[in-house]
Amino acid sequence: MEFDLAYLMAQGPALMRGLWLTVQVSAISIVLSIVIGLMGAAVRVLKLPVLDKLVIGYVEFIRNTPLLAQLFFIFYGLPTIGLKLSLFWSGVLSLTLWAGAYQIENIRGGLETVAKGLREAAFSLGLTPWRFFRLIAAPMAIRVGLPSMLNTSISLLKNSSYLQAIGLAELTYVAIDRISMDFRTIEMFVAICVIYLALVLVLSVFANRLENRLNKPFRV
Amino acid sequence: MTLLIKNLPFILQGIGMTLALALATLLISTVIAFILGILATLRFRWLRWLVKAYVELFRDIPLIVNIFFVFFVAPLFGMELSPFAAVTVGLSLWGSANGTEIVRAGFASVPRHQWQSAAALGLKPWEVYLFITGPQALRSILPPFVGLLTLLVQATSLGALVGVSEFFKVGQIIVERTTMMEGWNPAFTVYGAVLLIYFVICSALTWFGRWLERRLKNDQRRPASAGPLLVKPLTQLP
Repeated sequence: MEFDLAYLMAQGPALMRGLWLTVQVSAISIVLSIVIGLMGAAVRVLKLPVLDKLVIGYVEFIRNTPLLAQLFFIFYGLPTIGLKLSLFWSGVLSLTLWAGAYQIENIRGGLETVAKGLREAAFSLGLTPWRFFRLIAAPMAIRVGLPSMLNTSISLLKNSSYLQAIGLAELTYVAIDRISMDFRTIEMFVAICVIYLALVLVLSVFANRLENRLNKPFRV
Repeated sequence: MTLLIKNLPFILQGIGMTLALALATLLISTVIAFILGILATLRFRWLRWLVKAYVELFRDIPLIVNIFFVFFVAPLFGMELSPFAAVTVGLSLWGSANGTEIVRAGFASVPRHQWQSAAALGLKPWEVYLFITGPQALRSILPPFVGLLTLLVQATSLGALVGVSEFFKVGQIIVERTTMMEGWNPAFTVYGAVLLIYFVICSALTWFGRWLERRLKNDQRRPASAGPLLVKPLTQLP
């Protein structure tokens, strides 16, 4: 059994379609999960009475249950009580809810490093809460929280492969599908491993650059 | 509810399988992690790079791909792995990559002078690892390993995709069976219950991890004369 490059080339378009779906699902979910993260973190930092507990519960629940079970609950479970989502949006919803929980913690971690005294100082100088947030808290929080936010985003990208379990034709699904038809196992696995590694590498290079830029003013 | 009671033995079997899978994987991962983690603390640059390559490779490839890889590729080399074995190997590769990083970081957190003074006292390298840096590193290694176990319990659900009848698969089977035999789709209830049971198991583990962390931290705040944790004090060496 030798490595058949010609076969791999022939499967290129199919793999690219899968890759495109993976990228789409991941990109949408990453953006939405950061929105959830921002809202959840705001609730936690402001210590809003009841919502606070709800957010804690949500985060703990997501972190202590398998993503696969969450996905099946959303895709197979919700329709039986009348909430029907398409394949694509079920995937997006479950990835978003999953990563959102982690983003809440990441962003909250960043925000809480902004010292309390700083807020009091800013208020006593007459800054409005919004200006304090925009000019002082957010820039400081981003520096601390960004690396873990990007890590979560990279995990989300990898975990988009879970969606093959419900039959969304993303990268992993395409590869497994081809394997069960043509039995070109090695070629397919080499292909998807390289693609995933490349995606992760691109994202982490981007993450490192961003981190370096944000740390620039703080370097001696 | 009656659905759950009716299938109780089946469910318990699934939970047992999940825990067995998680524990087997943890055991293998721990052994590999300690070997590779300690190798990474040695002074051979190429060895460090090799370990780093291993860690990065298995952390950056999706876990699903990992498991499918073992499941589909092993037979090509004449190894007929059962689904259980394939999942164990796949998860172990991933778990040991993460574990290696934990062990490496744990040893890195021990101050260098501990090593230097131990060597100055004439301890052999393996003695330093076993009696000086090891126990100190263990303090920062243990809590994340409990975290790893939590993740492994969750990750075993992927076994369902290659046909291991662990807890998640049991849930799937119950849904299919009920839909076929009784004509209604209990997906919402069953998957909801599955989520809850995973939540209970993993929360318990998370709590244990936090408790362990607190305990080990308290121990650190005690005066040095209280002696190191888990191993006999150095004075009792032969």
